[in-house]
Amino acid sequence: MTHYGMVIDTKKCIGCHVCAMACKVENNLPNDVWWNRILTDNGGGVGFDMVGGSYPDNLQLGFIAMGCQHCENPACVKVCPVGATYRDPETGVVRQDYDKCIGCRMCMSACPYTGVRSFNWEEPKYHMDYAVGGKDVPVHQKHVVEKCTFCYHRISKGEEPACMHLCVGRARYWGDLDDPDSEVSQLIRDREYKQLLEDRDTKPSVYYLV
Amino acid sequence: MSETTNTPAVKGGKGLTIAIAVAAVVTVAGIALWGMQLSGGMVQTGMRNLDSWGLYITMFMFFVGLSAGGLIISSVPKAFGMEGFGGISKVAVWTSICCTVLAIGFVVVDLGQPFRMWELFAYSNLSSPLMWDIIVLATYLILSVVYLWAQLRAEAGRVSAAALRVVSVVALVCAVLVHSVTAWIFGLQQAHEFWHTALLGPWFVSSALVCGTALVLVVVIALRRAGYLELEQRYVTRLAKMLGAFVLVDLYFFGCDLLTSAFPEGSGAEVVAMLTTGSLAPFFWAEIVGCALAAVVCFVPSLRTNPLIVVASLLAIAGIFCKRVQLLVGGFQIPNVDYAFQTNALTVTNWEGGFEAAYQGMVYWPTALELGVALGILGLGALMLCVGLKFLPLKQAENVH
Repeated sequence: MTHYGMVIDTKKCIGCHVCAMACKVENNLPNDVWWNRILTDNGGGVGFDMVGGSYPDNLQLGFIAMGCQHCENPACVKVCPVGATYRDPETGVVRQDYDKCIGCRMCMSACPYTGVRSFNWEEPKYHMDYAVGGKDVPVHQKHVVEKCTFCYHRISKGEEPACMHLCVGRARYWGDLDDPDSEVSQLIRDREYKQLLEDRDTKPSVYYLV
Repeated sequence: MSETTNTPAVKGGKGLTIAIAVAAVVTVAGIALWGMQLSGGMVQTGMRNLDSWGLYITMFMFFVGLSAGGLIISSVPKAFGMEGFGGISKVAVWTSICCTVLAIGFVVVDLGQPFRMWELFAYSNLSSPLMWDIIVLATYLILSVVYLWAQLRAEAGRVSAAALRVVSVVALVCAVLVHSVTAWIFGLQQAHEFWHTALLGPWFVSSALVCGTALVLVVVIALRRAGYLELEQRYVTRLAKMLGAFVLVDLYFFGCDLLTSAFPEGSGAEVVAMLTTGSLAPFFWAEIVGCALAAVVCFVPSLRTNPLIVVASLLAIAGIFCKRVQLLVGGFQIPNVDYAFQTNALTVTNWEGGFEAAYQGMVYWPTALELGVALGILGLGALMLCVGLKFLPLKQAENVH
């Protein structure tokens, strides 16, 4: 069995937002839709991309690149009344079927990871007159929920997710968590890591090296 | 009492006809607004990604409560073979049916893809509490209609008292279940600290009893004044005492929940602060004060006059509505992942000031369109209620207590 996962090295991430942009282009995301967002870990109070803490000795700035955590025990899958969101048994990827989604947004309130699921609140609009990114990306629909697919259209062709590319700090790693020899498995064996909201028992497939 | 005088065969008269016409116009306007919401997009509502449910789901919770309460009030005496509340049973069930239709209506307008609703039956995912609710709510609606029909047939001597009692018991179980399941839509989510408590089920049932009893009281006193039905004052007094008891149980549950959340001084304390002194404080205190006043009126004999009972009932209903608002908005008011990021028009209702500013006040507030659609659905409920009063034989039959 394959269980795809991602490891993000927070010590290497410089918060450049390029992976967010790569995701947006590859998946032809509509205006104002972001599946992959770079959150600023600065202690709060000063806004995103700003340095928090106090000058000069206690400055704080870090980044958490956040998209769907592709949980092994996903809260969203259980609550979807029609099974439009489901965990792919072949790859462990949590997927979303736009054609099936009835737009009840039960998954959005069930997901503990604030803001990783996004709803198309209007007819998708685009800055370009033509579609960009992968040609086999599903067409975006109005009034359905969508989210990071781990670039399912790419990984099913044996490629890596789009956010892996262009990462300036080479902070992202991708691979099979079930394979003990994979790079991701080795990294989480050798390095200290954290996962987001472990107390919710969702078993996310995204690891943050610290 | 003069207001118990029955005016024979008026069928509500002119007032009811006007009410039906007004309700019909409001309903049609609401449907038009819903069409606008669907064609122009739900971006016209106040809901956004970080506060993805709003007024509609609040109203859904509220009306499931009202309907379950009404049915419980009318079925308990029959189910346990006690003396009932006079001839109000059929009116209570009809009110309950109207509220169930309203609750379903509010879920439908909340859906992004209402034309895909058939999928609920084709691809039912039985692990979803929402699916359970749809099943229970549909069963409940059918059962309420059967229950009303059985009562009418029983009066005509076509259904035995034993059979009616069986239907009452089934209706009672279903009414309790429908509210528990609605609670589980929220209570089973580990994502929201405020919702994730085993108390939510029983608490929803107690809230349902509060606003259901209160609604029955208001409707009954109004109908008696209008000469639609006769009812001895002792029945009103008994209902009022019950309302008082239910209000206290509901407040007790709230107290238990607040104490359990606050005591460890962990993340639950944040929830308590949000309610008592934070952005939801107006709704919290309105509920506490309103319900406390309602209880005082219900328990002090000298205050238990009809006008004050109506005021107390309305306060209790408003109090429970405030609770629904706290529960719904409160669930979204505390983000689990609170690192700042760039907000935009689809992220959160008040996105302009950035991530942190969005949570300064209430994270969600409805738009005029949402209020209009909600008003339209309320119009539909009023229409059903009035049409029922005019054309259905809901008046008490002779010689039936």
